[in-house]
Amino acid sequence: MAEKEKNVVNFSDPLSVLIVEDNEVDYKMLSSMLKDESYKISYSQVTETLADAVKALKEKSFDVAIVDLNLSDSKGELTLKEITEQFPLLPVVVNTGAYEDDLGLKTLGYGAQDFLVKSKYTAYTLIKALRYAIERKRLELELKDTMEQLSVTQRQLIEAERMRIIGGLASGVAHEVKNPLATILYGVTYLTDHVQVDDEKYQVVLDNIRAATHKANNIIVDLLDFASLSRLNKKATSLEDIIEKSLSLVGHEIDKHKVSVSKEITKDLQDIVVDKNRIEQVVVNLLLNAIYSITEGGNVHIRVHNGCLSSEMIKSMGLSEHYFKNGDRYLFMHIEDNGSGIKNENLDKLCDPFFTTRRAKGGIGLGLPVSKNIMELHEGSLCVQNKEDEGARATLIFRTSL
Amino acid sequence: MNTKKILLVDDEKGFTDVLRLNLESTGDYEVKVVNDAREAVKQTIAFRPNLILLDIIMPFLEGPDVVMALQENESIKNTPVVFLTATVTQEEVDQQQGIIGGHPFVAKPTNFEELVSSIEKNAGMVY
Ligand SMILES: Nc1ncnc2c1ncn2[C@@H]1O[C@H](COP(=O)(O)OP(=O)(O)OP(=O)(O)O)[C@@H](O)[C@H]1O
Ligand SMILES: [Mg+2]
Repeated sequence: MAEKEKNVVNFSDPLSVLIVEDNEVDYKMLSSMLKDESYKISYSQVTETLADAVKALKEKSFDVAIVDLNLSDSKGELTLKEITEQFPLLPVVVNTGAYEDDLGLKTLGYGAQDFLVKSKYTAYTLIKALRYAIERKRLELELKDTMEQLSVTQRQLIEAERMRIIGGLASGVAHEVKNPLATILYGVTYLTDHVQVDDEKYQVVLDNIRAATHKANNIIVDLLDFASLSRLNKKATSLEDIIEKSLSLVGHEIDKHKVSVSKEITKDLQDIVVDKNRIEQVVVNLLLNAIYSITEGGNVHIRVHNGCLSSEMIKSMGLSEHYFKNGDRYLFMHIEDNGSGIKNENLDKLCDPFFTTRRAKGGIGLGLPVSKNIMELHEGSLCVQNKEDEGARATLIFRTSL
Repeated sequence: MNTKKILLVDDEKGFTDVLRLNLESTGDYEVKVVNDAREAVKQTIAFRPNLILLDIIMPFLEGPDVVMALQENESIKNTPVVFLTATVTQEEVDQQQGIIGGHPFVAKPTNFEELVSSIEKNAGMVY
């Protein structure tokens, strides 16, 4: 039987083991059992408190830990929780007192891979528990990874289906709404030229109807835009050109709000393969958002640089770990302002269609969702955060084809 | 007489009414309205327009079908057509320099001035 088990679990890699145990008899016993050379333990260390265990685990990486739950500075399940939360990759075997079988079983639910009952194990069952714990942890992590991948795929499928439905709905609605809009518009045109009354009020009313018609049409156009998937015309383009063009498109607003613009663009900027018009649209949206958040005389700073994504950035920007890998290289473009910043309770809603805090000033709430959609169609991303000091930062992430 | 004859084919009666008023009030156009696309060919033969403004999505017969039917008729097959449609956006029209699938397009709703300039650009002789 022992022969067969060896096929499943590799008993020959050298192991480093941390023993967390404050009972001298117990840890001496464990240490001496692990000394047997045939068990290939390359290193073992004993710590008597949870604090020391945490310190040791931070300093050195261990293949597996044997943990007594009742220590001077921590008791019961809390000891285990503390360790598994801080070191989610570490396989743990719990060492419980005799007659604590129930507790032992319970520990498996809190993230331990196996448990030993004090004085009921032999050197062989100990080593087997350690090796099996390592293998179980490996399988557990593999399963977790697969599950995550599956849920990403599932979310994508749902999203694709949602976009398909929105797309169909949007073009149907667009057709039905634009026809009456055209009737209204030509009706107003006719009346403007033919109303004979010498009363300015009539012209004001007609102007308002015309403006409202254009606004309704713009909403429809934005909605179609949001729904139009995969109609990108990608070509190698200079991001710097896109920035210049976008700045000139919003020049009027920059002047009106007395905003100054500064730029910091890396010297070794390579072309990106994008749909130029779409990315311009994104940059214009972000510039306008920045400009409108500023009261007067503020600054918008544009920064472009190459770089890697660290796992902290992936997390804080809410990126999918399956698309954006720790260490991969990307092109970053930040648009930073020293305006009002974003209220914490709104941070999660920014990219929801029709979320706006500028409704009274004509905001529709499609700028960010449309932009995000466009970036995702380019396999890049967009996120908006508050800056550490004041104002907000919108970041665009582009893949650079290397 | 210097007026151009425009055949307006669109199922939306409210729309054809106001557009006809606008066109006629310029004094430059004589307009005939067709709200049922199945009548389009017959009316083209009878009216001999300089240009057809043609909607795309209509019940019974869609815009492109009307164009094919015109093509089958030697006496009217060269009549210029401008599509007038709510299915595309102005941006898409601009990107294609106003021509999609070989025919000039105008997106609904578009300013009356722009519509007129497209009519002037495309209107032809009556054969
Ligand atoms: N740079 C920024 N500083 C502060 N708030 C911002 C910034 N960018 C976005 N926001 C917030 O996010 C909201 C949504 O932005 P979004 O661009 O989607 O819509 P909008 O600007 O309100 O309307 P529009 O559809 O015209 O763009 C804004 O109303 C604003 O509250
Ligand atoms: Mg906006």
